[in-house]
Parts: sequence; structure tokens; C-alpha cells
Amino acid sequence: MKSVSAKALLDWVDDLIRKRRVMGAQARDDRFTWGPLARAADLRLDYDVTLLPPKVFLQPPREKLLEFSRAGGYTSCVEAEPFVLLGVHPYDLAAIRQMDEVFSQDHADARYLKRREAATIVAVDVQAVSANTFAGHMGASHVETGYDILLTRIGDGYVAELATKKGEAIAGALASAADADAAAQEARREVWAQNAQRLKKHELKAAPADWPGLLRKGYEHSVWEEKAKLCFSCGSCTLTCPTCYCFDAREDVGWSLARGTRVRIWDSCMLADFAKVAGGHNFRKNKADRYRHRYYRKGQYIPEKIGGQIACVGCGRCITACVARIANPVEVFNRLAEAR
Amino acid sequence: MAKKKTSAGGTDIYLPEMATVVRSAPMTELDRFLEFRLDSGRELGHRPGQFVELSVLGVGEAPISISSSPTQAGSFQMVARQVGNVTRALHALAAGEKVGIRGPFGTEFQVDGAMKGKDLLFICGGIGLAPVRSAINYVMDRRADYGKVTILFGARTPAERLFTEETRRWAAAPGVTYQETVDRGDEGWTGNVGVITTLMPRLAVDPGRTVAVICGPPVMYKFVLLELRKLKISDANVYVSLERHMKCGVGKCGHCQVNGIYVCQKGPVFRYSDVAEVREAI
Amino acid sequence: MTSKPRVAIFDFACCEGCQLQLVNLEEELLDLIAVVQPVQWREAMTEHSEDYDIAIIEGSITRAQDEERLKEIRARAKVLIALGACAAMGGVNRLKNNFTMDDVRARVYGKDSAMPHLDTQPTKAVGEVVKVDFAVHGCPITKSEFTSIARCLALGKTPLIPNHPVCVECKMAGNVCRFEYSEICLGPVTRAGCGAKCPSGGFWCYGCRGFVDDPNVNAARDIMAHYGKTVADLRSRMLLYNSQQELANGPDTQY
Repeated sequence: MKSVSAKALLDWVDDLIRKRRVMGAQARDDRFTWGPLARAADLRLDYDVTLLPPKVFLQPPREKLLEFSRAGGYTSCVEAEPFVLLGVHPYDLAAIRQMDEVFSQDHADARYLKRREAATIVAVDVQAVSANTFAGHMGASHVETGYDILLTRIGDGYVAELATKKGEAIAGALASAADADAAAQEARREVWAQNAQRLKKHELKAAPADWPGLLRKGYEHSVWEEKAKLCFSCGSCTLTCPTCYCFDAREDVGWSLARGTRVRIWDSCMLADFAKVAGGHNFRKNKADRYRHRYYRKGQYIPEKIGGQIACVGCGRCITACVARIANPVEVFNRLAEAR
Repeated sequence: MAKKKTSAGGTDIYLPEMATVVRSAPMTELDRFLEFRLDSGRELGHRPGQFVELSVLGVGEAPISISSSPTQAGSFQMVARQVGNVTRALHALAAGEKVGIRGPFGTEFQVDGAMKGKDLLFICGGIGLAPVRSAINYVMDRRADYGKVTILFGARTPAERLFTEETRRWAAAPGVTYQETVDRGDEGWTGNVGVITTLMPRLAVDPGRTVAVICGPPVMYKFVLLELRKLKISDANVYVSLERHMKCGVGKCGHCQVNGIYVCQKGPVFRYSDVAEVREAI
Repeated sequence: MTSKPRVAIFDFACCEGCQLQLVNLEEELLDLIAVVQPVQWREAMTEHSEDYDIAIIEGSITRAQDEERLKEIRARAKVLIALGACAAMGGVNRLKNNFTMDDVRARVYGKDSAMPHLDTQPTKAVGEVVKVDFAVHGCPITKSEFTSIARCLALGKTPLIPNHPVCVECKMAGNVCRFEYSEICLGPVTRAGCGAKCPSGGFWCYGCRGFVDDPNVNAARDIMAHYGKTVADLRSRMLLYNSQQELANGPDTQY
């Protein structure tokens, strides 16, 4: 583990930008977003939460899957240029590791895995706490594996853990920085302990481990209908969710009508027509059924798929994104727990 | 399920391989019979009840059940009902034209498992006959391996009945009972009129040695299952093929989920006792 | 395609801005006429034929004689497309329906308002007079959506007109929600397909593409207080493009 000053860290970032494609957390209007980093000065390692999670680089909102032509049939398109993801918060890293599992199991998704392989992840421990986070309740306020480099703000500087070969490959000047002393290492543990408490802006009364059980008993609970009444079926909760990955595929042709592309585009189980089949039958026609489905995905269906991990990391983006203010998992699971 | 790569040497689960239409013929106003051969020359290698993702260039992709039995080598068949862009485009394809194929995907009717040696009761509504035909012809080709076979088929009108020549052959085969009904008759129709469940009370089945298979429009299942219970056939001996929008076919896109179950992977064929408690299933 | 579909474009009550979007296709126009053959298009050509497969209707219907003309067009066309907000849902012109026709005439024409050629009726969308096969939504239309629809039709494919709210495209664009600025944005009830242009440019959604099939207008009303707004504020925001739209969409006739 290394200790670096804030200035030295920025110099390292500028150096990195000259050598690599770097995607970093930066300001957008009053909030924060991910984008190509032009200079270290634009990097905001003190951000609270980004509008969209870093999944935008691993499963982009819109991605070309195939090209085709009448003469040549279909060909695969895979874009996976190496890049550095700079400033990933622990809860988002926890989500990425869930996505890794989803996309590698059974039929592995080569596009996701190639991009994942192309990504070097520099995580950063949370400095500013966002208004709606409850990552502290979800065991995602800090992580101890999964990153290539982990940065933690300690006083005026950072400690940097170079955790993997990929991390070492981009370490540059960080590699030759002074080793972090015992006090700095202790200070990092203290940051982790504090963040576990600080990242609790909503009080969760139902332990995540209890979520599957609560759902098993809660299918007919009144909370689904009650909350769904206000639902716009706009998908904001799932589109901003770091563990949601459902998609649609669409085909467009060029003006020749003989060549074209098939694209993959984000979709959402909250949208009215998500479960509609050709011929018009909609298997999840009611808002309440769709609303409930989302929570079951988070607390039961995806956990069943990925070895029990709850598919919510407590980032709170859904809470902020929902105009109708019905998307808060804490409220819903607290309600389910009350009924016990 | 079959662990076939979706393209020669490729590992892209979303990449279709090309196939050629070898036969295309109208069946009803809405339905068209299509037969394909993979351009690579390989067998599709499907099992009865499985489906493929079929692409029409420039139009898109849709999940379609395979209707032919794997006992028939060299090509595979489907019935395309005109309900969307892909199926409409399929209707316009002539022999020699190309489509893309991914798959086969999904689970199968247990023709080499639970159904073997048993009396079989196939209950099909409308286009639901298409996937079940794969199992029926498999059974017909290995007739000695099974007991009594009963096939019930319901269509909306006489003109919407599918595979009318083939169903006549089934009806004439030894040890096979074939009955059909229509929701609405027409002038020339002298057969049964009424929903498919009206055929069921008269059935003579030995519930202890009967396996039932159901495939039809969503509304049909509930009522057929009730009748099967009256016939004392246990849920564990009933197989249902469920329709959902299996968009990706590989358990990723989320569209086909029935509660926590990805129909494209754990279905479309389910043992009913496995999904009887799954609320979104039937 | 064995032969190119013959297309005629007609304008009714509107600003002709949507047709202008077509003219603005510029070099893409050449691509367009490679797949379809325009046979009547007042704004762009002098030739004129009544033999067409596809009729594109711009504008809303505000006079009895326009209804007759539209019915004649429908009878000739195999496919009829409503182009833009005015044709698809009455558009800004529908504001008129909040007043009596006498008021409207008096306000616009003053002392001449009683003259017979100035007669007017409440605004109708094209679909309220004849069957519409496809609507190209928006005020004005989005060029890329129009060209995509055109290619679909040339292929014999039903175009995908989104039935989800603008929020979907707004979230994908990574925008800050306008409600976070305590603005009333109609995105949550408005049909997507525009690429969330207005919110991406820093404005609320005006609802120019009309409601989704099942808009939760009641929810919109219920959440106003939280954003320091009233139902009257919401109503005034909906007036511009969505006056009395919900009549066609559901039982809620509050606005």
C-alpha cells in the first residue's frame, strides 16, 4: 500500500490520461456523471453519487450487437478498447461483481466479458455521502476485493492499494511512492468503519439476509398495489440501478434496405410493454405486478441466480430518480418486515 | 439443453447462423409452414419442444418453436403465425431465401424420459399444435416405445385447423385417438363445436399410466388443468409449454421471466408440478 | 421492393414546420426518394398526382370541408400517416377547444368573425376523423424517427413507436431530472421517441408527443405538493399540447 499527496495523485492521473483512455467521475450540472476524462482537474473523487452507475461502460445504454447485409449475413460487433474506470465507489463495485456473475454464467456474454476484461478499475472510498444512500445497510459501503487499485482519502492525501497486476500496470509513479505506514493503514480501516455508519441515510429495519424470506411471505402484501398506484412505469428506478441489466434488441436498416445493424438497448421490467408477446398478450399488464417484480428481482430472483447476493447495493439512485417517490427499497422492505 | 455453439467456431451467443428456406407453404390465412436447412450443413440437433431465435434480415428476431421431430434429419420445420414483424416477413419468404438462426434453446417434452412407456394425452390449442407436433411425430416414429396416444386439438374455426392431412394420418394410426373441435363451426362443419375442454370429460384414460402435454393460448391452461384433475391425472404427470417473449434465448434479457424463472432456460416445457405454485406461470 | 411506394403529403391546419423538417432532410432526401416516390407535396414539388399508396397528413382538422377532403384522401391511400403533433393529437391548435368557437372567431377576426368563410369547429386530430395507421409524433417531428419509419414502411415492417415515457431516454442520456429543480416536467407521462431533447437541453418536457397509452395522470396530480406545486400548475403545463387529451386516453377528465 502506498501513500501519496493529493497533488501527486493528480499528477499521476494526468500522466495516466496521456497513456490510457480514462473514464472518470466528474461534475454535471448540480450532480455527478461518468465520462472521458480530459484532465485530472476535472476528476471529482469527492463526488457523492453519479447519475448513472459505471455499468454504462460495461453494458452501454445502446450498443451495436451485429451488422448484417443481404449478401453476407450477420457479423458480430464487439467494442472493447482498454480503458481505466477511475473513481468507482465500493457499492458500484459490488454491483459490477454481481453483473460479472450474471454475464459469465450459463451462456457467457462475450461482449460484457471483453469490456470487463478491458477495464482497469480504480475504486475510491466514499468521501461525500449522498442524500439517499443506504449502502451501509447492504454491506456495500466498502469493499476489500474486486478493484485493481483502491484509493482512500486520508487527511490531505490518499493511500493507494495496488491490488492486481492490472492495477500495477497503470500504477506509474504510484508504484514508487512511499509505502503507507501502519497509521495510514489503520486510518483506512477507520474510514471503512465510519462509512459503514455514514452511508445509512435511510434506516433499514429488515436485514438484507431476511429479504428473500420477507418476499416469500409478502407476495400478496398491500404495499405493492398501494405504491404502484403512483407509478409512472417510466423505468427510472431500474435504468439508474447498478444491478439491473435487462435489455431489448432492435434492428435498423440503412437506406439501401440491404444492410443494417442490430443494437442492444437498455430495457426495463417496469415499462408497460416489457412482458408483452407478439399477438398482444401482456403477461405483466398491471402496474402493481411490474412494481412487485422489481423488488423480487432485487431480493429473490437475482439472488437465486448468483449465489444469494442481494441485488441491491444501497446506492440510493432509484430513490432519487423516482419522481413519484415510490422506489425506495428501504421503505418497502421495512413495510414487509412490519407485517411479520 | 443442447450445448451447440451458435455459429461455426464462434462464441457470440447473439450471432445467428444462416439457414435457407427449403419449403414454404400457406396453411391457413394466418399460418405458414416453413422448412429450413442450416447453410453449414450441420443438423440443428433439437429436441421436441425446443425453440430457436429466428432472424429475418433487416426486420428482427423472434422466438419460434420447432415443429418437426428430430427423427426427421436434414431440415427442420416451423409454423409462422402472422402476429408481428418477423412472422409477417417470414410469410413473404420464398424457397431459397435466407434467415438467421440461433439455438435450439430451452427444455424438451420428455419423450425419452417421463413419457416413455406411458399412455400419452396431447392437448393443443391453435398454434400450440406446432411445437407439440414435434413430440407427436417423434412418438409416431417410435410407436412401440409408448402406450395409447390421445391427441386433442382445438381451433377457432375449421379453416384455422393446422396440419389437416397429418392429423388425419394420426387419427388413422393404430392405438391413436385424435379428436378435434372448433370454437365456431361453418356451413360444412359437422364435427365438434366448443372449447377444447368439452372433449375431455368423455376421455377414457388410465390416470396411473398417463402423461399429459398442454400447449395453447394463455387462457386455455387453467381450464384444461382443471379437467385433468377431474381425470385424476397428477400434476407431476402433466407437462405444459409456456409462451413468453424469449427475446435473447440465453437467460439474460429478462423479458421471458415468470417470477424468478427464465422460460428460455428452464422452459418453455415445464413439469406442471414444478410451476403449479409459481404465480405468474399459468 | 418491386416498385417504390407512391407517397403524397397533405397539409391541414398547422405551421408546416413538420414538412419543413422533411425538406430539412437535405441530402437524406435523395435517400428517401430512392425508397419512396413522392407524387404530391405542395411544399417541395410542382407535380401533382392523385394516385398514391401512402398519404402523409400534416396538421389538425378544424373545418367541415377539411374533414371531407381528409376522408377522400383516406379512401385513396393504403396507408395513412399522421405527421406531427397537430395531426397526431390536435397539437397546439387544440388549445382552441378550451373556448367557445364564437369567442375564438371574435378574438382572431374581430368584426369580421361572422363571415361564413371564417367558420371554424373544435380542433380534431386526424385520428378523430379517419383511421390512422401510424403517427409520427412531436412538435416538430424528429427527422431520424421519420426516416426510420420511412425505411420500415419500405421494408413492409411496422415501425416501433415507443409506448414508454420520455424518462427512459432522459435517464439513458444521463440527465439531471427536472423535478430535482422543482420544475414540472411532463416526461413521466409523455411518449418517448424524441431522445429527451428538451430535458437534455435543460428544459422540462412540454409533452409535445402526447401521452403514453396509459398515462398515470392521477399520479402526476398526487405528487405536485411534494414539489411545491399545485394541480393548477400541472394543468397549465399540460394545456399547451395536451388540452383534453386524456379524454381519448382514460376516464380522468379533470383537466
